[in-house]
Amino acid sequence: MSDRLSALRQAVERILPEVEGLVALKQGPAGILAPHLYQPSQATELELLALWPKYPVPDTIKMLQKAHPGAKLAVVCRGCEERGLVEMAKHAQIDLANVQLIGLQCTAEEATFCRCAKPFTVHATVTVGEKIEGAADPLTEAFLAKSQEERLAFWKEQFLHCIKCYGCRNICPQCFCNVCALEDGTWVETGRLPMPLPPMYHLVRAMHMTAKCVACRECEETCPAGIPMAIQFRLMARDVQEMFGYETGAVIEQKPPQLLVLEEGEYAKTGLPH
Amino acid sequence: MADPKIIGFLCNWCSYRGADTAGMARMKYPPHVKIVRVPCSGRISPELVLRTFREGADGVMVLGCHIGDCHYNTGNHRTAKRMPMLKKLLEYTGIDPRRLYINWVSAAEGEKFASVITEFTETMRSLPPMSEVMQAEVMQSEVMR
Repeated sequence: MSDRLSALRQAVERILPEVEGLVALKQGPAGILAPHLYQPSQATELELLALWPKYPVPDTIKMLQKAHPGAKLAVVCRGCEERGLVEMAKHAQIDLANVQLIGLQCTAEEATFCRCAKPFTVHATVTVGEKIEGAADPLTEAFLAKSQEERLAFWKEQFLHCIKCYGCRNICPQCFCNVCALEDGTWVETGRLPMPLPPMYHLVRAMHMTAKCVACRECEETCPAGIPMAIQFRLMARDVQEMFGYETGAVIEQKPPQLLVLEEGEYAKTGLPH
Repeated sequence: MADPKIIGFLCNWCSYRGADTAGMARMKYPPHVKIVRVPCSGRISPELVLRTFREGADGVMVLGCHIGDCHYNTGNHRTAKRMPMLKKLLEYTGIDPRRLYINWVSAAEGEKFASVITEFTETMRSLPPMSEVMQAEVMQSEVMR
């Protein structure tokens, strides 16, 4: 058992009696990991506590709160999952007041694997592991260096492989609308492969991820075609921060810009004419 | 490109009246912009713009009331927030962001309307057609149902 895992187990064992349930990953048969609800009455299950590969937990919390409103929960979350929970709370999907966050800081290898700029939690009061600096994102930087024609050629090539399985939408902790624009035949044509251009599915999704994407990279992980779509989301997130000073998951009280009217000085940054 | 296909989404309260003003003053401007009147420029969602491109438009214009003059108080704030982001997305997709044009034209600004249309049509003339950029054979037969 690694040091980090035993440290996490100690933290979990300390907190488990105080709550009704605790969500963390569990080692299943055949090396498969899945989120699991650990309960104080079955503390022996903690033998199977696991860390990696990560799997998004915010959706599990939403499911649990829907079935058991007001239940006192705790959750082991990484930086990205914490951001996911914060953003879901902002959009009234979960109630953060009843959730105790146990932060799990990522290691340098994990951050490099995810090309993560913020592999640490900021709101969790209990944390496990060393806080490290963010890793570089060579893929996005390489994309930025491309010319306009090269960018289009890059995406044409990537989206050619898309089989429109909707996996990226299904795994996304920020895709929670009851009525999804991607299922609407007005915007996204169904049953055509390869996808006609411009790729409505990906562009509409990228637009909907603006000021919402928490950079967890689960979409890329789940994609059977290996499309690096997070490049677009991350670049858009950079622009949102520049224009509206909004960073997902950073401040719990800060409302997302799409819910607000323009504020003093914001208009100048949008680059629109006067 | 001699005859660019341009769709202009004009807000009913300012820009559409601005077009009327330009027409009544007999101002001359290129005829390539097909005008769609909408209740508010905030009505124009990014999906709508993207589908317009998908259907083969070379350029899309969104014209609304000046900030602060919106008939619905803050409708055009949505335009001001969403459209610059969409321009960025087009840029990151490899589509020329100049193909999407946003400006504010009030009911009295007939002259500005004519100059905005002329300017945008000229820009579109300098760019290759969208169908060429997006592989012509994929674009043509596949108009959405």
